[in-house]
Amino acid sequence: MPDGSYAHPQQRQFNPYTENGGTILAIAGADFTVIAGDTRQSEGYSIQTRYAPKVFRLTDRAVLAVNGFAADGNMFVKKVKQRLEWYRHAHAKDMPLRAIARLIQTMLYAQRFFPYYVYNILGGIEEDGSGAVYSFDPVGSYEREACRAAGAAQSLVQPFLDNQIYFKNQQLPPGQTRPLHLSLSDVLSIVIDSFTSATERHIEVGDGLEIYVVLAKGRGPQGLEAVRGAQELTTNAEGDRVFIVRRELKKD
Amino acid sequence: MFLTRSEYDRGVNTFSPEGRLFQVEYAIEAIKLGSTTVGVSTTEGVVLGVEKRVQSPLLESSSIEKIMEIDKHLGCAMSGLIADARTMIDHARVTSQNHAFTYDERIKVESVTQAVCDLALRFGESVHDEEAMMSRPFGVALLIAGVDEKGPQLFHTDPSGTFVRYDAKAVGSGSEAAQSELQDKWHKQMTLKEANILTLRVLKQVMEEKLDHHNVQLAQVTADKGFEILDEVRLKALIDDM
Amino acid sequence: MNSVYSGPGFDFANTARNSFLESRGLPLPKATSTGTTIVGCLFKDGIVLGADTRATTGPIVADKNCEKIHFIADNIRCCGAGTAADTEFSTALIASNIEMHALSTGRKPRVVTAMTMLKQMLFRYQGNIGAALVLGGVDADGPHLFTIHPHGSTDKLPYVTMGSGSLAAMAVFESGWKQNMTREEALDLVTAAVSAGIFNDLGSGSNVDACVITASHTEMLRNFVKPNERVQKERSYKFARGTTAWKKEDIRDLIITEDITVIREGEAMDIS
Repeated sequence: MPDGSYAHPQQRQFNPYTENGGTILAIAGADFTVIAGDTRQSEGYSIQTRYAPKVFRLTDRAVLAVNGFAADGNMFVKKVKQRLEWYRHAHAKDMPLRAIARLIQTMLYAQRFFPYYVYNILGGIEEDGSGAVYSFDPVGSYEREACRAAGAAQSLVQPFLDNQIYFKNQQLPPGQTRPLHLSLSDVLSIVIDSFTSATERHIEVGDGLEIYVVLAKGRGPQGLEAVRGAQELTTNAEGDRVFIVRRELKKD
Repeated sequence: MFLTRSEYDRGVNTFSPEGRLFQVEYAIEAIKLGSTTVGVSTTEGVVLGVEKRVQSPLLESSSIEKIMEIDKHLGCAMSGLIADARTMIDHARVTSQNHAFTYDERIKVESVTQAVCDLALRFGESVHDEEAMMSRPFGVALLIAGVDEKGPQLFHTDPSGTFVRYDAKAVGSGSEAAQSELQDKWHKQMTLKEANILTLRVLKQVMEEKLDHHNVQLAQVTADKGFEILDEVRLKALIDDM
Repeated sequence: MNSVYSGPGFDFANTARNSFLESRGLPLPKATSTGTTIVGCLFKDGIVLGADTRATTGPIVADKNCEKIHFIADNIRCCGAGTAADTEFSTALIASNIEMHALSTGRKPRVVTAMTMLKQMLFRYQGNIGAALVLGGVDADGPHLFTIHPHGSTDKLPYVTMGSGSLAAMAVFESGWKQNMTREEALDLVTAAVSAGIFNDLGSGSNVDACVITASHTEMLRNFVKPNERVQKERSYKFARGTTAWKKEDIRDLIITEDITVIREGEAMDIS
């Protein structure tokens, strides 16, 4: 009350969530998956840091991208990694991708009434060697897809992906054929162009780009040799392999 | 060992000066009083067989349940205090369901065996305010059979919470004779049918009564069909083929 | 009954309706805002004004290279931050009125005149015109630099900043501004101040516009620095002919032919 008395009921509110901008995206190929995110973290009109990773290697075959409220995102990744470690101890193997997907659902839904304010995209290689992308909402609804964008520039990037990956609104011109799966070099080009374009038109996207590439076991590095500065993060070269590619984005 | 009996065999949480836990050892002894149970592992699947002691002609033999399902891909045979096994199998079932719910995959045979064995040592004297514990060790041994990504497997658990993987294993009253017979007859290239017949032959050897489809039960776990208890028709056919 | 007569000035006929709609959950359309870093700086011979070139609607960049340094008179310019339409309209209106004033007085316009006209207009509208301005120029009394806030208050200072990037820009001024700077020093400082906004404030971006006003000359330096050029795309996104599907095709002949029958020959026009 304006008079400062407590004669009337008072209501106080605390909002524990903030939105920290940025965008993530993942595209699955026949025997590879690309998962990427920009590295800007912002609040309102301020940049908190130009380098806060949103994409994380979980295992040699699984990469997780998190976007939304950064504090929740970091904590969530930490807890997923802890569960993967426990699983490795209990079952003497790395958790398969679809098991990680289900685990993430149960972890998110456990917080149904105080959710992690986070959009997750999980990418990697399935047990059968195929590339896979799983996307989640903050309370655990999930789906396997071929491609997905999330975060601040989702509304800019997803329609572009629908057009370029699913060929939406593109009639096949007579005499032309369409490849069943896009090549790795095509996918990498589309990912980079998605982020440079989102940087042009969305104020919360920019600074840096981290692209993770997961290759199925036995697949050669074709499509990656020509890529500048690809760095391998694999722990066991016998199985699926993980690479990271870094690029600069505009900083305005 | 009974000769060294002393007051150290009373408390379940007291080591003897020689470093033994008598109650656990006695529990292992209790299993040797149980009916004979046999498990045989092959590349095609795992076979479980039990002797059902029908003590009275009035007893309904089908009500004796010594082989139970844990999950679609997991089965279990027991010897010893059957009632104790229920607690353990309940735990195994919950563990398996929980795993499927959380990870969208079948739990490994070794993992579910480990989970059951984690339970085996939770006995002792409970302290005030602590969750109630079991008062004594389990008096039962389990043969856990299953198929997972590593293929068909057979595990044996005892009241000490120890588990070991076997190609073929017998427990219970006739286990000594049965085990040496298994050692003689088991080989790597064994088919599932051969394993079924070996199981029956081993049981027949150690049983006092004449083996028939009333006093014996067979089950198998395969990659295709998972866990199944053989019905009377299939059991009879196998007994005839013996 | 609605009158067909439309009076001068703003029309408030829809305000009651719009606030009702807003209370029922229909949000008003978002106006383009120049999130903006605008600055002004006094130097030895005059004024340097600076601005970024980003215009936004919410988090979306609406214009990557808009002009925020508006013309008021030959010797006066005004940078605008806030609602784009408000800044553009008020500066255009005052530019027009200043020209009228100059014509009727027969004198070169003064910066204080423009400042007074702007503040009176903004005050009249009680902050509803969302224009935050940096006004600068050189007149008979020498160089002048003002800020004008949306409610009509003004400041006269040797270096000023406005908009969402004002703190970033002011930090540069506070550390680098000194009295009696040369034109080059002032231009460098303004560029640094606007750049601080461009890189550290999400509401500001793209290029630096600058304007140097001295007693004799006004120089507009459009896109003075372009530190944010887009890199080349990895791929070409040209669609093959025939990519767009259509439902039906209808080709019309635009040449209409008609037969004209002359019924009676008319009299020839008198061209004598």
